Amino acid sequence: MSELSNITEGAGLMTNGQPDSPKTQRRMSLPKNWGRCLLILVPYIWLLVLFLVPFIIVVKISLSDTAIAMPPYVPTFAWSEGWTGFWNMISGWDLENFTWLMEDDLYWKSYLSSLEIAVVSSLLALLIGYPIAYSMARAPSEWRPTLLMLIILPFWTSFLIRVYAWIGILKKEGLLNMALMHLGIIDDPLTILNTDIAVYIGIVYSYLPFMVLPLYSSLEKMDDSLLEAATDLGCSPFKAFWLITVPLSMPGILAGCFLVFIPAVGEFVIPDLLGGSNTLMIGKTLWVEFFSNRDWPVASAVAVILLILLVVPIVLFQRQQEKQQEKGA
Amino acid sequence: MNGSPNSGSGCNFAPWSDPKEKPLIRFDAVTKKFGDFVAIDNLNLKIYEREFFALLGPSGCGKTTLMRMLAGFEQPTMGSIMMRQQHLTDIPPHRRPVNMMFQSYALFPHMSVEQNIAFGLKQEKRPKAEIKDRVEEMIALVQLQAFAKRKPHQLSGGQRQRVALARSLAKKPKLLLLDEPLGALDRKLREQTQFELMTIQEKLGTTFVIVTHDQEEAMTVASRIALMDQGKLVQVSTPREIYETPNSRYVADFLGDVNIIGGHILGPDDKEDDIVQLAWHEDYAPLRIRLPQPVSFPEKGTERWVAVRPEKVRITKEYPTDTHNILKGKVLDIAYTGNISTYHVETEDGQIIKSQEANLEHLHRRAITWDDEVYVHWRAGGCVLLER
Ligand SMILES: Nc1ncnc2c1ncn2[C@@H]1O[C@H](COP(=O)(O)OP(=O)(O)OP(=O)(O)O)[C@@H](O)[C@H]1O
Ligand SMILES: [Mg+2]
Repeated sequence: MSELSNITEGAGLMTNGQPDSPKTQRRMSLPKNWGRCLLILVPYIWLLVLFLVPFIIVVKISLSDTAIAMPPYVPTFAWSEGWTGFWNMISGWDLENFTWLMEDDLYWKSYLSSLEIAVVSSLLALLIGYPIAYSMARAPSEWRPTLLMLIILPFWTSFLIRVYAWIGILKKEGLLNMALMHLGIIDDPLTILNTDIAVYIGIVYSYLPFMVLPLYSSLEKMDDSLLEAATDLGCSPFKAFWLITVPLSMPGILAGCFLVFIPAVGEFVIPDLLGGSNTLMIGKTLWVEFFSNRDWPVASAVAVILLILLVVPIVLFQRQQEKQQEKGA
Repeated sequence: MNGSPNSGSGCNFAPWSDPKEKPLIRFDAVTKKFGDFVAIDNLNLKIYEREFFALLGPSGCGKTTLMRMLAGFEQPTMGSIMMRQQHLTDIPPHRRPVNMMFQSYALFPHMSVEQNIAFGLKQEKRPKAEIKDRVEEMIALVQLQAFAKRKPHQLSGGQRQRVALARSLAKKPKLLLLDEPLGALDRKLREQTQFELMTIQEKLGTTFVIVTHDQEEAMTVASRIALMDQGKLVQVSTPREIYETPNSRYVADFLGDVNIIGGHILGPDDKEDDIVQLAWHEDYAPLRIRLPQPVSFPEKGTERWVAVRPEKVRITKEYPTDTHNILKGKVLDIAYTGNISTYHVETEDGQIIKSQEANLEHLHRRAITWDDEVYVHWRAGGCVLLER
């Protein structure tokens, strides 16, 4: 839940490209334009109710102890006890669950492996997405809306179904193995399903549009005459690509990488469906902790640490967006 | 009129009239088509070293296309472009000793002023110290010392334009192409930069090809002006020639203001034998035009036009003496533009003749006013006879 709202926040920044700068916010606080104040207040209330309050609840649970009860943790707050109840709850809190996370290497291994999978998937998505976005931006302008549509088209079917479909492609007697064997490229079916490779395929496939769209929007904005100017000044077309196109599409590259990386870190469905028993991802660990072990406090602690880990790239992402804003590009 | 170091009367820079001189650039029967559309139509042109060559013409006549073929961004459909002994068509744009200053400047937004200017030099892998010196020199030339570390978006339009100019000059190209380089500047800055361009040209000895919509600019800076129309060159001459002796009504009309009267050749004048008489109206005396030496008389009865610039047409209330062509008319309109006034005079047969006078007196002391009966007159040497 918590990371989800972060992603949408990030995506919002990406699509409208104009986050409110501190300056406009300061102007907002003037009582004169209360209408605009109200307008800006609505999303804040939304965030408060649907992001901050649930997050505080999660933090609260992470500080509690497990219990065989409903809900499965203590201490809880009882309205009937009033202030003393509140005080009892707070004094019952401790950091036990967090120390536990550090002691058991399952957790930090999951975090590390999640980060690794997310980083590698982002880079793979970049490698695949860049040529796609580039050729889209170079396509005749009357084709571009259709091409954009094609990129967005997968969203019209359920994410879950699309990931499921990959099982049919990747399994031993699946489409891919059949095709490869039919063509005589391999003799024995490859084991792809239930390995990390399948997880990479799933993540890259699922999040590719998030890579292609910001890349496309930054590449499309680029003025062709800049490349002409570069070649005019003695730069070969290939070098001009590295010296002009790549730096100028850097905002798109960063936005795309963050938009793939951030949701990929906490991804659960893909490793669960496509990954093997030894695919460690924090989303899966969290699920097991929450539903199989019914250890809500530890699960909450896992979620809190995950959020803290994600705050770093999110802040970096916003910094970069702001810098872009300052450039007025 | 000619402020250019090339075209001033004191200096005899005229390689185009020297048959021994080899041109720097030669267009041979160049045609450029976009689909079925002919943008450049069988064009022949020679541009010489150290020239300041101005391309003039209405919008869409193919000026930019011509430039882009020189820079290598477009290939001619037919014909060849030579630079000295080399076929330019075979050389990719990044290997041509040609630099172009884009009308949109095309500055690299992620690089500072310095980096933009150094870009071309870095591509040549010159030593670092040399690049640094050259960049400094260029920045000083366009007077942007205070802005060297800024990015293009932190500069004003005029400053960006100067960066673009410095960048295209930095590599000391043999040929520099400027596509409407001063289009975005105000009059003052424009004149200043024109002067700068001419100084740069004098210093570096580069050959310039410049596209402009501003005739005055072309007249000021160019050694020769080429007037284009629908992919063809209509006339290529020095500013003075193209203004004083246009080869067609189109040229005369495109450059500056002109009065054109059509008629038929009558024959030589009885008194002066280099003056031809043109019958233009059955009720009026023929017009008399002095022909350039050596005299070659057109055949009697052929259709010709006389073109006379408004500033060469005098206007008086009294019947003038010592002149060749006199028309009587009524003042229809007076356009006041500060330093000069343009009188629109309607002759008795309905022809409008424009006459320009310098405003020597204060406006309220002007002798001629609306609806006055006046004579407009000009000398035979002040007009030209046009074939088409
Ligand atoms: N890439 C192209 N495809 C099709 N037609 C083109 C292309 N480039 C130019 N043209 C056409 O060729 C003609 C000449 O264009 P060009 O840009 O050379 O005009 P120009 O003389 O520079 O005009 P302006 O003064 O308005 O800049 C125009 O009619 C234009 O529409
Ligand atoms: Mg043009």
